[in-house]
Amino acid sequence: MPVSHFSRSQATPISSRSLWFAGTAMVLALLLSSAAFFVPQVYLPWLAGIDALLVLHGVINKGNLGGLLRYILLQLLFTMVLYLAIHGGNQVGQGVMAVARILLALLPGWWLTSTVSAEAIGELLSKVMPSKWAFVIVASINLLPFMVNEAREIYQLQLLRGARISPKQLLNPRNWSELCYCVLFPLLVQLLKLAQQTATAARARHFGHKSRRTHWRPGQSENGNK
Amino acid sequence: MRLIELDGVNFNYGSGQPWIFRDLDFRLESGSCHCITGPTGSGKSTLLQLIAGLLSRPFEGGVFRRQGLLTGLVMQDPQVQLLRQTVGAEVAFALENLALATEQMIPMVQRALRRVGLFVSLDCPISNLSLGQKYRLMMAAQLVCNPTVLLLDEPWAQLDDRGVEELIMVIRGLVADGIAVVISEHNPRSFDGLVDHFWQLADGQLKPGIYRTQHAIPLKAMSCGDEVIVDTDSFDYRFVGDSPLFSCEQPLQVRRGELVTLIGDNGAGKSSLMKSLAGIQSNTVALPIRVFGERPKAGAYGARLGLLMQRPVRQLFENSVLDEISFSLKRFELPLENAAALLQDLGLEAFAKQSPHKLSYGQQHLVALASLVCYQPQLLLLDDPMAGLDAEYFDRFCLMVNRLRERGTAVIVSSHRPLRQLPVSQQWDIADGMLTVSYALEEAYYAS
Repeated sequence: MPVSHFSRSQATPISSRSLWFAGTAMVLALLLSSAAFFVPQVYLPWLAGIDALLVLHGVINKGNLGGLLRYILLQLLFTMVLYLAIHGGNQVGQGVMAVARILLALLPGWWLTSTVSAEAIGELLSKVMPSKWAFVIVASINLLPFMVNEAREIYQLQLLRGARISPKQLLNPRNWSELCYCVLFPLLVQLLKLAQQTATAARARHFGHKSRRTHWRPGQSENGNK
Repeated sequence: MRLIELDGVNFNYGSGQPWIFRDLDFRLESGSCHCITGPTGSGKSTLLQLIAGLLSRPFEGGVFRRQGLLTGLVMQDPQVQLLRQTVGAEVAFALENLALATEQMIPMVQRALRRVGLFVSLDCPISNLSLGQKYRLMMAAQLVCNPTVLLLDEPWAQLDDRGVEELIMVIRGLVADGIAVVISEHNPRSFDGLVDHFWQLADGQLKPGIYRTQHAIPLKAMSCGDEVIVDTDSFDYRFVGDSPLFSCEQPLQVRRGELVTLIGDNGAGKSSLMKSLAGIQSNTVALPIRVFGERPKAGAYGARLGLLMQRPVRQLFENSVLDEISFSLKRFELPLENAAALLQDLGLEAFAKQSPHKLSYGQQHLVALASLVCYQPQLLLLDDPMAGLDAEYFDRFCLMVNRLRERGTAVIVSSHRPLRQLPVSQQWDIADGMLTVSYALEEAYYAS
């Protein structure tokens, strides 16, 4: 039979050390993300230093930071425009600080998903919560890249249809409603459809058949952490 | 051996809604292969869900299922069924749910992948697979727990010709092993020689035979203008940091009024090239492509360019069909009456005030295309526009494309299999890493 030509590797079971790493990474990410909102401003440079180490580790593990950086730049732009419109030029510094805290809150989550497989997260979560909840969380993590791509393509489609949502046009706050109306709304519709289809796909593979599930242990990946 | 039997099933999507099934009977024996045909929106996918026991809404009638029967359903779009990030984890998902011991999973997963001819690493990211490979991955994800019944929803639309040939060989093996297979399909002739029973689903009932509709409106052959809309030098199509996806050694040129087809297997780079022409494909090296004499840039062409991506229903957002079609007319400051006139020509005027989200899949597809056609772009890029549509919808598609070309629009249509009997002026084929051009006879003369 004609087949696609890929190499076939043997998967070896994940070690319990990797599961410990996954558990520690989840707790650390949770603490650091929470700290980004709660620690006084004076400690933020320390937090930024720790996050910088996580970014370095994530990049070494082939994590792609591009999407997050683009989001933060967009967030910074919107926040600046809003602060300028509402407070004038006096409180721009506070706006920058708010965006910095958002960035510091997101970076540990990015690091976690870059260095720990979703299956390992799922296995750990199912030890502390019902399997169905753990599945929903892991499915949401897995759907994130797909939804980001959907958002990009819907944006592009509407831009080509003449929607006033080019980066230049979005400098004008009056066009922000157009972005919500013709990008976020269809994205939400897609998300709802996708949630329904995902549920059907999971049931088609006997999800919910047994009260206790077992877990696939992914092979040792190149970076050694997955 | 009788596996499943439906006896006088009635089903609709709520009171007051039209019946999807009306007194429907069906019997499935082990080792048999059935193909269900029918118009777009007739309920083929719903029937597969009913057979699989996945229909969440109540229905009337009797359903017999052999005790302990395992069914596997591969839905139409593999993309929305992916639950994991790597091949091994995806296939093992069903085994996890059946609570199999972890150490038993790896050999079972490898066997399922071999069974569908997908020889990839278990750690291979699913995002690296082509659409056809993803479809086979979904089959492996069902076959891994040795189902007695396998249900496949419109595989022809998702696979290229080579993929269909491979699928037929896989199904042959499954049927020989005693597995019952049910395929819902718009193009049943592709599975001739494999299928034991053809059924047509129409008016809520299954009857023996193949559903046929007459394709009445052909695409017209038209002469092309002299004005060049798209031109390129020779180029390598390559994503940054990757080896070339394909090379094009001869310059490409598309003139006013031309109909060009872009043919290639799943994953060949058709959609990426279409996006590059529209200026929305990022992450590629600089390409010597000029559209309207300029380097493509997102949104720079306004009403001169239209792009219909795959799954175009994603772009629908307005409250009514008329508003949806009028949206671009408003933004490009064109006459709004075009929208109502187009709806009338398409026979969709009855839906003008309805929400586009309540239409059938085929109708939504047409509305998405109509929302581009109404502003009469000079270049229309259609990425696999016929996927999942039957002859009735193809007629309306031809109606719109003919109308545009009469007004000088150049149309480029991509597909994963050759579109036979279309009066194309050029065909661009992507195969074995090369994009080659073949001209229609009169065009070959013109080009020489």
